[in-house]
Amino acid sequence: MIRRLLAACALGSCPALASTARSQAIPQAQLREPLTIMAPAAPGGGWDQTARLMQQVIQGAALAPSAQVVNAAGAAGTIGLARFVTAERGNGNALLVTGLVMVSGIVTNHSPVTLADVTPIARLSGEFEVIVVPAASPIRSLPDLVAELRRNPRGVSWGGGSAGGTDEILARLIADAVGVSRDSVNYVAYSGGGQALASILGGHVTAGVSGLGEFAGQIESGALRALAISSPERIAAAPTIPTLIESGVDVSLMNWRGVVAPPGITRAERARLEALVAAMAGAPAWREALARNGWTDLFLGADAFGDFIRDETRRIGPLVAQRKASAVPWGVGIVVAGTLALLLVGARGGSLPAASIGARSRVTLLGIALAALVGLPGLIGFVPSAAVAFTCIAHAFGSTRVLRNGAIGTAFAVAAFLLFAKVLGIALPPLPF
Amino acid sequence: MGESLAALGNGFLVALTPMHLLWCLAGVALGTAVGVLPGIGPALTVSLLLPITYSVEPTAAFIMFAGIYYGAMYGGSTTSILLNTPGETATIVTALEGNAMARAGRGGAALATSAIGSFVAGTLATAGLVLLAQPAVALALMLGPAEYFALIVAAFAIVTGTLGDSRVRGLASLGVGLTLGLVGLDPRDGQARLTFGSRYLLDGIDPIIAAVGLFAVGEAIYAAWLGAAAGERVPLKGSLLMTREEWRRSWKPWLRGTAIGFPMGVIPAGGSELPTLMSYAAERRLSSHQDEWGRGAIEGVAGPEAANNAAAAGTLVPLLTLGLPTSATAAMLLAAFQQYGLKPGPLLFSDEPSLVWGMIASLFVGNALLLALNLPLVGIWVRLLRVPQPYLHAGILVLASVGAYSVHGSAADLIALAAVGVIGFALRLRDFPLAPVVIGLLLGPMAELQLTRALAVGDGGWRSVLGRPGAATILTLGLLVAVAPAAVNALRRAPEQERSPTRP
Repeated sequence: MIRRLLAACALGSCPALASTARSQAIPQAQLREPLTIMAPAAPGGGWDQTARLMQQVIQGAALAPSAQVVNAAGAAGTIGLARFVTAERGNGNALLVTGLVMVSGIVTNHSPVTLADVTPIARLSGEFEVIVVPAASPIRSLPDLVAELRRNPRGVSWGGGSAGGTDEILARLIADAVGVSRDSVNYVAYSGGGQALASILGGHVTAGVSGLGEFAGQIESGALRALAISSPERIAAAPTIPTLIESGVDVSLMNWRGVVAPPGITRAERARLEALVAAMAGAPAWREALARNGWTDLFLGADAFGDFIRDETRRIGPLVAQRKASAVPWGVGIVVAGTLALLLVGARGGSLPAASIGARSRVTLLGIALAALVGLPGLIGFVPSAAVAFTCIAHAFGSTRVLRNGAIGTAFAVAAFLLFAKVLGIALPPLPF
Repeated sequence: MGESLAALGNGFLVALTPMHLLWCLAGVALGTAVGVLPGIGPALTVSLLLPITYSVEPTAAFIMFAGIYYGAMYGGSTTSILLNTPGETATIVTALEGNAMARAGRGGAALATSAIGSFVAGTLATAGLVLLAQPAVALALMLGPAEYFALIVAAFAIVTGTLGDSRVRGLASLGVGLTLGLVGLDPRDGQARLTFGSRYLLDGIDPIIAAVGLFAVGEAIYAAWLGAAAGERVPLKGSLLMTREEWRRSWKPWLRGTAIGFPMGVIPAGGSELPTLMSYAAERRLSSHQDEWGRGAIEGVAGPEAANNAAAAGTLVPLLTLGLPTSATAAMLLAAFQQYGLKPGPLLFSDEPSLVWGMIASLFVGNALLLALNLPLVGIWVRLLRVPQPYLHAGILVLASVGAYSVHGSAADLIALAAVGVIGFALRLRDFPLAPVVIGLLLGPMAELQLTRALAVGDGGWRSVLGRPGAATILTLGLLVAVAPAAVNALRRAPEQERSPTRP
């Protein structure tokens, strides 16, 4: 709410934004019920930003009565995907943000749920990848890099983002295309663009591969030399960078993002979501936001997007599937066994404090409280389960007035819920009513 | 350097206009308010508050942003100290001694040393940003994964001295931390380790959730087990802020924390875990109050708190000079720069001098505002500890679960929180120290990751680490620091024994 209020004040002070909001004829609301947009990642990343931008634009243009963003992070988005498919099945008012990384994550993480289980709605935006070397590198062009790769595949180290992501996929696609085994690609994964960039600038890796946005500043300042871009044709934002294809490597790749709906929705519901997303993608506010983020508009309607997802799955799947399994994870074994041995030895020396009277019942109460905090929110909502837990814990620590504690616990939980869910926009398991 | 100072002077002219002062104040206040919430660290705070700044003119937006960043760093320490629920990796170490102080009635002093230490470190490190940015970043780029690995191993070596009274129990705790850190994907080949077939464990256990589980949940179960024997918390003993003695014991840790934090923030190894742990270990080694560690040694708060703020300023060096975001928060700041069509890097200083220097000047201003804001708040925060025990425990656990849930929006994290809490309880019950668990959990995965990278970019053998002069030097120095005290003690003891051969 604070954000909305402040954003509203700020909007008033900025004539450019205010005028676009006015000039746009407010279209008829496409949805009658609130829209839920799930970002299968933690706040801050590209998927989350996409979800929050959609939320802003949809609410700004009144395309739905309200839009809520839910984050469900983990395992390259496959945890969010699994939750979306089971929890939202048949819900015509829910969208999930997806993208290339999820296609690869589904394969590498052996996800039982795939993108074939959801209803494609639209591809929205994307970024192209560039291959760079530090300015001082003897490698002058992509053919130089390819020659080096053919001569000594392991000797060429590629620095980029997290393993299994777009950057590694591109490195493997290139190796594949020039006839080098994809498994010999020496890819060094960094968390976050900055660390990869530092490693490239410092000359610790042979080449860098990442989204154009991550490298644009360094390319402009001359610290990095761009060898190629992964777009099918040269792009307006970087007209001097040759494409992979014109450099003789028949590969194009974009880090695309789109939205899908749950399985089991009706034709009419699907059509309504399509129209909603199409209206959103046509709004000036959306285009401005894309430009601000340096994302390319890659809008594709539902049917074409469905075909596209199938093609990408066919192309990317085998590329990331065959990861060499290490023989015996002896390192893990040593740490675990050593820890257990030390624990056993150490436990003998430790002095066990005498349990005071009622220790067991107090610990049991605390256990019940923890179980309530863990297990109940999904069933009965956050506030009631937090109130139950609060009462149990207070009881365990000697405050036995159950009704009063329940009331205090409820008040506390409501306050926490309002603060997180309403003010900060972080979704907690909602109230059951 | 003279140019920098002149430019900084101009920056102050920008930062000190009434409107910009107001934005700075709004930023630090919002940053503190949101950062103080459990589970919400600076990166999340910045990303939540980012939309507010969109429609403000750039200079004001960045001044506000800088305020939010530093404010969130301040706010994070408060929950760590008072409630034992750190909201970010930077303040996990603070909780170790900070919460012990709060329990012993010195919560006010812990908050004060943290606030003043953050001010001192923030100011000195921002000065470092002005004066040393170019050489520091040039040096930092020369360090590769091999050197980072060496640095972490050196940190391990130094910290082993702080494992507590019993080496065996200390090492066992370290092993528990390392084991928790192993959960997830193997960085070399992407194989799942210790995930027991659960996809929820593929990303590993978030250190924040593990820390809150160990500290807050484990501690609550332990207190329930002890019952009345746990004794009452002392809300406040002695003066509210720091005594003369506490000042005397704090100022050196502040300076040492700054000296450790700033360079470690500049190097792109990411994160404030390493500097805070190094500072903790250094202070524990150097402290003349060994008996107080684990029960609230003020050095253990002053050092790491200075270190994390200095590191925060340090991460701005590669961000502003090269456009390298080396932490999650810096990445958010970079995203904000790009929203305005600005490209951080060498050109930024020449293209947008009033913006950059205005922002840097506002870091100084924001630091002063934060001190002015936070010292009076100490009295209010400490009152939290007067809440009756049953409600305090209940409130902490409910908030801990909210925080854990909000990190990823995953109920699986709640299970992890409870499970680690039970482990923490079991360890406490058998008198195993918790600090080494944290050390293993934070440093283990980092060490493995850097070693993997070092081997990948090198020739794959041990020479990819030991063959690099920088890495070898760091390793040798680290081992020397680790072994030296013991060796010196042994040498000192030897002649004594010669002199008194009759002693049994």
